[in-house]
Amino acid sequence: MAKFRGPLAFQAPSAEWQLLPFRFERINGKVLVTNLVGEHLFLSAEDFDQLARNELPTDSPLVRRLRAKHVIREGADELPVELLAIKSRTRYRRLAEFTSLHIFVASLRCEHSCPYCQVSRQSSDKGAFDMTWETAALGLESAFRSPSQNIKIEFQGGEPLLNFELIEEVVAAAEVRNASEGKNLGFVIATNLALLDDRVIDFCRAHDVYISTSLDGPADLHNKNRPRPGKNSWELATAGIQRVREELGVDRVSALMTTTRSSLGRVREIIDTYVELGLTSMFLRTLSPYGFAIKTKSFDAYDVDHWLPFYEEGLDYIIELNARGVPMVEQYAALILKKMLTNDDPGYVDLTSPSGIGIGAIVYNYDGDVYASDEGRMLAEMGDKKFRLGNLHQDSYEEIMLSDALLAPLEESFAPSAPMCQDCAFETYCGSDPTYHYATTGDFVGRKPTSGFCRRNMAIFKLLLDRYEGDAGTRALFQTWAGH
Amino acid sequence: MSEHRLSFASSAHSVDAVQRAAYRFSDRLSCDISERPDAVEVIVHLADDTSEPEAVLADFRNEVLDQVLRERIRAETGDVRNLVLALAFSRTGLIDADG
Amino acid sequence: MIALRGKALSAPLEEPLGHTVWKIVDVATANSQRGSRAFVVGEDGEAPEGFDLYLTRSCGPSAGKGEAVLRLPPELDYLSGDDVISVSDDGQRVRVLWRHESRQNSVLLTERCNHYCLMCSQPPKTANDDRLLAEAFELMRLLPRGTSEIGFTGGEPTLYGQGVIDLLRLCRNLHPEAQVHVLSNGTRFADPEFAAAWAGIDNPNMMVGIPIYGAEPARHDYVVQAEGAFNQTIPGILNLAQLRQRIEIRVVLHKLTAPALPEIAEFIARNLPFVYQVALMGLEMIGLARANIPELWIDPTDYADELVEAVTLLDRNRIHTMIYNHQLCLIPRSMWPYTVRSISDWKNEYHPECVECSVKDECGGFFFSAKYKVSEKIKAIPGEAPREPALLEL
Repeated sequence: MAKFRGPLAFQAPSAEWQLLPFRFERINGKVLVTNLVGEHLFLSAEDFDQLARNELPTDSPLVRRLRAKHVIREGADELPVELLAIKSRTRYRRLAEFTSLHIFVASLRCEHSCPYCQVSRQSSDKGAFDMTWETAALGLESAFRSPSQNIKIEFQGGEPLLNFELIEEVVAAAEVRNASEGKNLGFVIATNLALLDDRVIDFCRAHDVYISTSLDGPADLHNKNRPRPGKNSWELATAGIQRVREELGVDRVSALMTTTRSSLGRVREIIDTYVELGLTSMFLRTLSPYGFAIKTKSFDAYDVDHWLPFYEEGLDYIIELNARGVPMVEQYAALILKKMLTNDDPGYVDLTSPSGIGIGAIVYNYDGDVYASDEGRMLAEMGDKKFRLGNLHQDSYEEIMLSDALLAPLEESFAPSAPMCQDCAFETYCGSDPTYHYATTGDFVGRKPTSGFCRRNMAIFKLLLDRYEGDAGTRALFQTWAGH
Repeated sequence: MSEHRLSFASSAHSVDAVQRAAYRFSDRLSCDISERPDAVEVIVHLADDTSEPEAVLADFRNEVLDQVLRERIRAETGDVRNLVLALAFSRTGLIDADG
Repeated sequence: MIALRGKALSAPLEEPLGHTVWKIVDVATANSQRGSRAFVVGEDGEAPEGFDLYLTRSCGPSAGKGEAVLRLPPELDYLSGDDVISVSDDGQRVRVLWRHESRQNSVLLTERCNHYCLMCSQPPKTANDDRLLAEAFELMRLLPRGTSEIGFTGGEPTLYGQGVIDLLRLCRNLHPEAQVHVLSNGTRFADPEFAAAWAGIDNPNMMVGIPIYGAEPARHDYVVQAEGAFNQTIPGILNLAQLRQRIEIRVVLHKLTAPALPEIAEFIARNLPFVYQVALMGLEMIGLARANIPELWIDPTDYADELVEAVTLLDRNRIHTMIYNHQLCLIPRSMWPYTVRSISDWKNEYHPECVECSVKDECGGFFFSAKYKVSEKIKAIPGEAPREPALLEL
């Protein structure tokens, strides 16, 4: 058919390809390429060479892939620039949202005595370690000053149910206040559930309060991690989870685990415990650096290398469960996959840049001290108040949000300008976590080659991409997680 | 510690690229970097318990090459990157208004 | 296949008809109104007086003498009350504009196009056919209130510029409840003024269906045979999205597009996530497609993996996705929930294999096939063996 022109007529008239901003990383003989907004593709070393040497032809499957993923453009193309701008804007829209999570430390007291917990106190002195109504009222004032349309108020401790009266007062006052503010207001109580009773259940039902609890795995592990009088932490927590599910609804309770050295090697049992309780989501958390001898570098790297196999085995087991029809989401993977596979940024504090401290979440301690993150508060309890932004009783909202204690780490740790992060193919998936780096190295940026944070996240990114590229079933599962 | 001398022709390698490679490898080796008129000279120090020191040095040389490429990408795409970001923050959202 | 045009067997007119668009009425639908109506004579031969045009069926009874009478060819005998036709001035050529029984009426606005797609089912022409637009205006006025779906197609309807905007505004004003679907290659919307005029029609029930045949320019431009098309169509889509217009992305699947389907899906999910829906269309072996069989033909079973991959990706990104024109036996069962059953007029021409098929009533494939190329893998889906009713010994 002479009327039709062949494909050659529509390829780029010249091979004058222009590079668009991209970054790369060599992984097992292949080259991962990510564009400005984190869209990825894997190239063979030979294909990457063609790109690197500027020897791309006018058209080829490789050229088409690179154009589709906005890695190159033909000289005159404006469309890729336009599309990249739209995608960037979408990724950063979280910044405009500002603080939405407000953590109220209702009481530092706790009836547990977990060895890794730095903050709780075994004390019956309500006056010394409970948040007063005056302090809470100032916290509430600050929360409503935030420009965010979404306000989530989370009560933490210690064990916040030891100061339940305060929770009742804050919730009531917040609801009254919100009648005129019209924000999307939500409440969470982070509790070990040992003190769950009818009054708490009725209250949570009446005010749509969500429960977040701790579950470290099987009974022996959990009870070892979380000693309390009666040695029955696990029994109380699982009974409490079941009770909330039955009396408030399955979606009203979620559980978080703390990973300790005793957890390593037991990831399948831990996951099975969650499955058994009907929970459909879990968070395979890293070993917490807070509370250990964290300023010795060797500790850090050592622990990451021990933790990674734990995570990998857990992730693969969860993938396997899903393939068998057992629904379970690994939340950390889901957060990263959202950043990898969509233009959305879930705004998870550890994985944002600018850092999410102060922006994603803010902590009002029982005594009115304000911290940029929960980790910052824990650091303070260990004697270092670097992330203390001010005090509700002494400082205004503006003084707190514009304090050097918040702005300096935000600015210094901004990943796109940090050494090595700047050129890192995973940068858009990652975060700056100034609190972690300060805790482990004494400065907000840290040295990435020896940073446990960097090593751990790089390994997870590679793991997720490997499984994603590996088979269609996992790809579909990951896309589901990313869509949550 | 063992010492190894590497030399990168200045015509094809900037000091910055070599420094970035050294930084990235700072968990495996340490470097003294000096600039000569025609070459960037590097003295690499490897811990004595380094297994396969030759492989580490080869990886390091390849890393320098990759850093040269990264430098080129940064230089060639700096303008368009700024253009994208300027566009991104200059207009009202398209996708975000109601999803 | 239902004929949409035909030549009158006889049309003894005393003078030219004077206008072209006629709404058909029969005994059941006729009332006192006469203007722009043609009466179709039924089996009983009854014909009320006063119509400017009478239609008789190929073998049916005649109408009264002395009036304009047009004898329909057999293939148009199905015409009945509430259908709308256009008739040439001499009464010889009849074109069906609207069949009231069909839910898939599409109104052809022009056969001209600025693209020349390799698989076009409606090969573009260059002659001026503005009369088609004029007929569409007339049709809008004749359609009954409460018409639920109206489709507009081409050619490229937006070539009319303001003309098509005016038509669609009339359509909205007269038929505000109708779901309106317009097929366009989208390039015209790259002009912000035209996009704004489109949005100005302000019809929330209107959707434009725009095809994309690649995730980058080279493949798309080749398929549509127009340089620079991709770099206009995508900005056009962005302009419409900014104006909050409903957009459907269409991908016709053939040898050039099906292998790239996952990439296209990824491109849509990442760059055009705001689209209302995505329609994946099986290739119809008609029009230009028949001339390009070697370039285009691919057995649907050969792109099953790509189809699953793409549909899954779109679905997980919460983009409503539909598969059209695919025989169920040729695609994986996991894809069946996404298929749309074409309420096809062609069903009575089954492929021989389909006679025994247990799901033919749900099938979205089309079957007017003996003359055209179809997959050799079409295979009846056996029904579940009927279960013996449980017995209870009493």
